[in-house]
Amino acid sequence: MSADLTTTLVVNGRTVTRTAGAHLSLLRWLRDVADVLDPKYACGEGVCGACAVLVDGEPVSSCIVLAAQVDGARVTTAAGLTGPGGELSPLQRAFHEHHAAQCGFCTPGMLICATAMLADGMTRTRDEIRHELHGNLCRCTGYQQVVDAIEAAQGAAQGAAQGAAQGIPP
Amino acid sequence: MFVEPFRYERAESLSDACARLRDSGGTAKLVAGGQSLLPMMNLGLVELDVLIDVSRVTEARGVVEEEGYLRIGALTRHRDLETDPLVARHQPLLAAAARHVGNARVRNRGTVGGSLAHADPSAELPLAMTCLGAEYELIDGALARVVPAHEFHVSSFTTELADHEVLASVRVPTLGPGWGWGFQEVSRRPGDFAIVAAAALVRTAGGEMVESRVALGGASDRPIRLGAVEASVTGARAEDLEARIGPVEGLDPVTDTNATAEHRRRLARVLAVRVLADACRRADEAA
Repeated sequence: MSADLTTTLVVNGRTVTRTAGAHLSLLRWLRDVADVLDPKYACGEGVCGACAVLVDGEPVSSCIVLAAQVDGARVTTAAGLTGPGGELSPLQRAFHEHHAAQCGFCTPGMLICATAMLADGMTRTRDEIRHELHGNLCRCTGYQQVVDAIEAAQGAAQGAAQGAAQGIPP
Repeated sequence: MFVEPFRYERAESLSDACARLRDSGGTAKLVAGGQSLLPMMNLGLVELDVLIDVSRVTEARGVVEEEGYLRIGALTRHRDLETDPLVARHQPLLAAAARHVGNARVRNRGTVGGSLAHADPSAELPLAMTCLGAEYELIDGALARVVPAHEFHVSSFTTELADHEVLASVRVPTLGPGWGWGFQEVSRRPGDFAIVAAAALVRTAGGEMVESRVALGGASDRPIRLGAVEASVTGARAEDLEARIGPVEGLDPVTDTNATAEHRRRLARVLAVRVLADACRRADEAA
């Protein structure tokens, strides 16, 4: 009874058009139809953040949005945070350097939500970082290293911005 | 869990959504942000034949100021309430309530109309609207009727909406000068639904409460305004509230995995005192 629907999304800069069941969540569309595997399914309720992606720059839980609802949008997954040559974003590098992943299941969503958090350029305290991360659950790290990484990344971004203002190359 | 296929329809407008609801003969559901409905579908709590998507409708979105009230389109997102300058100026209680909803991802998608029509008894926005004395505009193609918040919210997940009606907008009275607000909730973790939540508005003169509104969510099957508490605090100062407010009557709390009914009754009184004190303090600061 479900008519298939043709949906076009710009996923990590690549235009992807697929015809699939209109009942598919954005997460299932990405994983099962478009073969984009870094967002993960976990709670199905929008609580845990493992499926987080950016839709037109804003973080959403892709398991509780239908692909049909965001037809035409730009979707960024954690894999899309890397540069064209595969170079890591400052946040990804900080996650690497601070060992902010153990099993790694929550990491794509953490990276997406932290990227959105840092987009305003504000400097946050550790408590503020923790508060804003309340929608991302990690069962391994105890969050310490994740907070370390985000704290370091915002410092690095600020340093780079100040450097740029003073004409210092990064 | 995999969601069973359903027919997906995209409404062109809210009146188109009404027509589609009528055509479906009661088998269809509306989706806007989907931040309550889609979790329920993922958990297998809801199965449906037809889903009518209003999330791409551009009318009924945003906040406008009219004579004596703010009109808030049903498709306004929680995130918009948090950041809207008119809300910040005229009704900051609503912005505070919106900040307590879910997490940032939920607030980016979830809508005012969706939350009100879903009518979770511990949700923040139905509570804030009940406290504010908001009126809901329901359409049935054309404007059909205006229903006050306290009549719209009938019980758990149950509202005055008929099968073919759509909640189009909310009118929130703007209060004059001298009012302060308070909003607090207790939940297991930030972002969870409240165990009990409380909202208050207070007008003071010379530090004494002249007028007040206080309401609770999560303490009954719908948001409840506490008329007896309001009457008991007239003339009180913030420091008198603890002595003036006794056990809150007229509640019907449930026991569930988060809290016992007794604990909810206790929270009801504690939170009522705290939000009234916050509102009192803000009203004094504004004066």
